[in-house]
Amino acid sequence: MASHQHTDLHVSKFKAPQSLKTAAFALLAIGLITFVVGLMRNQERIWASYLTSFFFFSCLALGGLFFAAINNLTKAGWSVTIRRYSEAMTSFIPVILIGGLVLVAGMKHLYPWADPDVVASNPVVAAKTAYLNVGFFVLRLVLFTAGWFIFKWFIVGNSVKQDTDGFESHTLKNVGLSIGFVAFFALTFSLFSVDLLMSLLPTWYSTIFGIYCFAGLFQSTLAVLALIIIFMRRTGFVRGYVTVEHLHDTVKYLKGFTVFWAYIAFSQFMLIWYANIPEETEYYIMRSLHGWLGVSFALLIFRFIVPFIALLPRGAKRNENHVIAVSVLVLVMQYVDIWWMVYPNFFGGEMTFGFWEIGMFALFAGLFLICLMSFFTKFSLVAVKDPRIQEAINHHVTY
Amino acid sequence: MAKKATGGLAAIFHDEKQILQAATRCREMGLSKFDAVTPYPVHGMEEAIGIKRSAIPYVTFVGALIGCSVGLFITVWCSAVSWPINIGGKPMISLPAFIPIMFELTILFAALSSVAAFAWLCRLPKMDPVVIDPDLTSHKFAIFVPEHDTGYDSGKLEQVFKDLGAAEVKRMAEY
Repeated sequence: MASHQHTDLHVSKFKAPQSLKTAAFALLAIGLITFVVGLMRNQERIWASYLTSFFFFSCLALGGLFFAAINNLTKAGWSVTIRRYSEAMTSFIPVILIGGLVLVAGMKHLYPWADPDVVASNPVVAAKTAYLNVGFFVLRLVLFTAGWFIFKWFIVGNSVKQDTDGFESHTLKNVGLSIGFVAFFALTFSLFSVDLLMSLLPTWYSTIFGIYCFAGLFQSTLAVLALIIIFMRRTGFVRGYVTVEHLHDTVKYLKGFTVFWAYIAFSQFMLIWYANIPEETEYYIMRSLHGWLGVSFALLIFRFIVPFIALLPRGAKRNENHVIAVSVLVLVMQYVDIWWMVYPNFFGGEMTFGFWEIGMFALFAGLFLICLMSFFTKFSLVAVKDPRIQEAINHHVTY
Repeated sequence: MAKKATGGLAAIFHDEKQILQAATRCREMGLSKFDAVTPYPVHGMEEAIGIKRSAIPYVTFVGALIGCSVGLFITVWCSAVSWPINIGGKPMISLPAFIPIMFELTILFAALSSVAAFAWLCRLPKMDPVVIDPDLTSHKFAIFVPEHDTGYDSGKLEQVFKDLGAAEVKRMAEY
């Protein structure tokens, strides 16, 4: 009963468990070794796996900022106590800035349009050089990542400043900033995914590609958010502020965007399948050969059907162990999805997965965990002075 | 003629907390058919009264399954059985082309069956309920205990409600 529970409100200073710290630094070390060895021994493979993992974690960081922004601009009350978790994910954004510049070093191994011989021999690619050229690509990458960093700086900055001074003006300022960010994000993330993933096959295009990547971004972000909520509840750093009601609504969001992903993925597939134009079907044909057909169906089953049915009952959304299992499945499938977008373009279209991919995932996973832990150590785990905090504390999902 | 409403006892409160306590107390006394009338949804009222989850989601789910099957049946029957036409050399039964229709019918059947179940469970379109107090739509809260409820004892109930701070206790006649 909302009116007389939550008397026990408690938020303590975050102290990362030693095991988690060790794990994060071990992952980082494994990743760095893999990256250095890979650069010497297998350049094409290391850059493909770099791109896949870089995109995966960039999505999580941007998703964290997007979640905070939509809750700011809709003046949502329920999510105030979990907003700090999504803001923590944005602390990875500086890594996107640096990781993007590192990626430029591997461009000639990844993007056919960066190779003058390909451009000279293929008139379709040559016609696109006004957009797809190294200089403009780097300029866009820098502009986008710098823009995201600036929005993160102000939006998250205002939020943590409020913890000390308690001024409501920070909340008001964040409404405008969040509207600006969402508009900026819609354009830049579309072009970011077109640049990084779609242009791996420069002869192909899909106008819905940006939204497809966004659907995966938001679905995986919500899965991570649910995992952080459960972690914080179980370790007891936060008591009373974050309840099973917040988990329930976050997982409702997750279920909704599971359907959204399927909707967008099908919209992209069906139009291409129906029109049956060779320059468009190329993409799906590559993903139906050499065993990729199995992965394509695995995406349909494990990214949509299984999570959707698993999250349908009310009890499932309030059961922590169940939510952990589904969130991990969603995150695995997000990786598989990006891998499925990147890898058929390389290695003769053969299915390739192994030590290099795991190592590069470890590199970014380690960095992501370190960013999260340092954010949580630096700032309060709950935005305790937010003017809408009472609404969040008394949040209650009726049936 | 069947009677339009059962008689019983109605307690009127001016405070949200009091009505939650009164509802909890009624449930603890073993009453099960009573109801609360409030101007807006009161958090925690479902638990206080002991209302079970609504059956509507299950109706929606069954409606959705029926809609999906009907969509599959209509599209397959039309394009492969009743009037087969070769479109772009694709197979007669091309599932990707049928999915939009199956999806739309799933939503349509789920939505309409939910509305129908909702109306049925609320006994709509019955539009002439007994007005316990006209202010229940603005600032007052009421608990109504019908006289056929288990362990109904108007004298005892009236005392309980008065003790919990009821502003008024009304005996509603059957008619």
